Amino acid sequence: MTAPSIPNLSSLLRGRGRGRGRGRGRGSSSGPPGFRDDDPIARDRIVQHTDQDAAGSRLSAVNLQYLDDPYAQFFYKDAAPPRRFPIINRGTYVRTAALDQLIARFLASDPSTLHQIISLGAGTDTRPFRLLTQTPRPNLIYHELDFATNTTCKISTIKETPSLLRALTTHMDADALVFGSNGASIESPMYNVHPIDLRTITPTTLPNLPNLDPSAPTLVLSECCLCYLSPTDGSAILTAFTSHLLASAPVGLILYEPVHPNDAFGRTMVSNLASRGIHMQTLQQYEDISAQTARLRAAGLGEVVGGADIEFAWERWVDNAEKDRVGRCEMLDEIEEWVLLARHYCVVWGGRGDVFKSAWGSVEAQQGFEV
Amino acid sequence: MSDLDRAITQLRACRPIPEAQVREVCYKARELLIMEGNVVIVNAPVTICGDIHGQFHDLMELFRVGGDVPETNYLFMGDFVDRGFYSLESFLLLLCLKVRYPDRITLIRGNHESRQITTVYGFYDECMRKYGSANVWRYCCDVFDYLALGALVVGATTQLDLDPTTALSDSTSIRSDEDVEIEIVNEKTQHVSRIRRDNYIHTDSQVLQSSPVTRSSSTPDRNGAPGTSASGSAHGSSTESGAVFCVHGGLSPLVETIDKIRLLDRKQEVPHEGAMCDLLWSDPDEIDGWGLSPRGAGFLFGQDIVKMFNQRNDLSLIARAHQLVMEGFKEMFEARIVTVWSAPNYCYRCGNVASILELFEDGGANGYSRGAVAGATPAQGPDEYKRRPESWERIGPGRRYRVFEAAPQDSRGMPAKKPAADYFL
Repeated sequence: MTAPSIPNLSSLLRGRGRGRGRGRGRGSSSGPPGFRDDDPIARDRIVQHTDQDAAGSRLSAVNLQYLDDPYAQFFYKDAAPPRRFPIINRGTYVRTAALDQLIARFLASDPSTLHQIISLGAGTDTRPFRLLTQTPRPNLIYHELDFATNTTCKISTIKETPSLLRALTTHMDADALVFGSNGASIESPMYNVHPIDLRTITPTTLPNLPNLDPSAPTLVLSECCLCYLSPTDGSAILTAFTSHLLASAPVGLILYEPVHPNDAFGRTMVSNLASRGIHMQTLQQYEDISAQTARLRAAGLGEVVGGADIEFAWERWVDNAEKDRVGRCEMLDEIEEWVLLARHYCVVWGGRGDVFKSAWGSVEAQQGFEV
Repeated sequence: MSDLDRAITQLRACRPIPEAQVREVCYKARELLIMEGNVVIVNAPVTICGDIHGQFHDLMELFRVGGDVPETNYLFMGDFVDRGFYSLESFLLLLCLKVRYPDRITLIRGNHESRQITTVYGFYDECMRKYGSANVWRYCCDVFDYLALGALVVGATTQLDLDPTTALSDSTSIRSDEDVEIEIVNEKTQHVSRIRRDNYIHTDSQVLQSSPVTRSSSTPDRNGAPGTSASGSAHGSSTESGAVFCVHGGLSPLVETIDKIRLLDRKQEVPHEGAMCDLLWSDPDEIDGWGLSPRGAGFLFGQDIVKMFNQRNDLSLIARAHQLVMEGFKEMFEARIVTVWSAPNYCYRCGNVASILELFEDGGANGYSRGAVAGATPAQGPDEYKRRPESWERIGPGRRYRVFEAAPQDSRGMPAKKPAADYFL
């Protein structure tokens, strides 16, 4: 029955492997033009560039009213408004909502004490603008760490955007906000941006992070950040924070990362990302939620620990009224694909100290992964 | 070479045809489709295909493994457009083939063949990008309104036309006189699995994990080879009655009989509710009766509904598409319904394989046999393969699933297959 007149495309490949096409993407999804993924500088640039991808996904979800975020528009740099498919929008929504819930519980736990958030690889994340404009004034100091390339870009956007400046100074004087002369850093009592290559942080080479409070309850956030580093670099960073910089503080960690690289969807994901020059180095090591929670326990953050994939978070953490509201943003026809995609990303949380135990003790974790 | 043949050649190379020609083809296609009933009668042999979703390179792969038009008779169960990056070329090629070989290709409507859905899921944007205006999208949407809602395959044999050139990949081969109900051909490895009608599994049980729990005939069904007169069937009176109903989504609580579908006014945009909507949107599920669909349109329906519908309409099988299945096809409810999925590595992201379903011609006029005799012994083996007890039911047609993978990424001589798929970064 085979049609001999139709060429077998596989046989035309001339030795090129599947999924090795480089930089063939279009628009915001592609890497920077002309990159070579064997060049470490180019590789870094690709990772830095993933932030625009996240900014586009965020704005797409905001424009369709999945999320209420007046700050998302300022950080997306392409002229054409971003459009993502409904499952991506829903995923962006659940990811944001899940982290928001965990963070809100942290901030609400013992609210009279100063709380600290350290966001690793923060990129153009708008969360500090949303948190720092809350009323009443949150008792919060926020730190963002990223490559200088990314922080410079973010800070120049902040400087030229009055509503971002207004947001940051909602609860503090405008002159308390000190911009670094290199344009890559911000220091203030509530919001700090630190230009730093995370890979330089180790227990023996601790970074200088102005305004870091060494004893305040501190939440470390890694939204698709540590997964780009080598497992060695990743654990060195965690140890630097938990055992040195914040040795005497209650510490919590929230990870948002892909999981299950070895099933059919996961293999395709790894290969598709590789064709864009993106390698998630820790994916194999922490391939599922139990490996992720074990990682948190090993990091000394096991007094309260849990994990949930994005499908679980959608099903169990989002109430029915909100599900209805989100369902009305867009018709979502891709049910099977949604489940596939959503089961390949997870939120994992773990912490030490009473603040975190009371904040997260009652969070519903996915079956089988409770403490 | 006629203009139409030239257009087909151009589209086969994944190059769009001029707007004026699109208008003409769409006009001709509408004239053809308007003559078709809501439920098209299709004679076996036929190759049944599920969702394509603009994955043009994979559609070419489908034709490569399934045979070209017009040599192979095709039935596509909708969702030609959206999601993939070559919806335009994929749909227009199928449409040109329909105009060129109207009796060799049947197209029925999927839920994505709709104005509203195509504006969200990509086809509208693709037309704007490729033509700079919405005209081509409008011409295509006008055609969508004329596509049939279902098809009835008649004259399929209960036996498989076994291909003698495909050797079984293990030693437990089935004797040539045994009644094979299902053959699964993996087009990449050329691995062939066969399932005998008495449900003993002869090869690679892994292949079957997600796949068919077959219905068995409890008659000693020893029909002769198709095309011969050596039929073992003594039930000549039932020759023409068993049929395979093909629909994109599934059943509707408003539709008890296929005749009811014939009465619908289909020449419209897919409505948000009602029988026409349900046929394009519903899904089978492991429930009793009817349930609400998480898609927000159509319904979920259980085994009891399918059983009743098949009995009432003298069907042996429902073939439908609409749901991604990682293994390319999935039989449910003791092989009373099958999902056929023909978009490999769906959205360039899902990592699934695809399949097409081949049904064969009943050359010996043996048709379908009545399924059972009273007091038949139950099947041996695991419970999940147990026989259906009902004696009134039709036994299923012989079915060959050709399972295939996505066309490779860099296909020489064609536009690049895809931009990068979205992930959360």
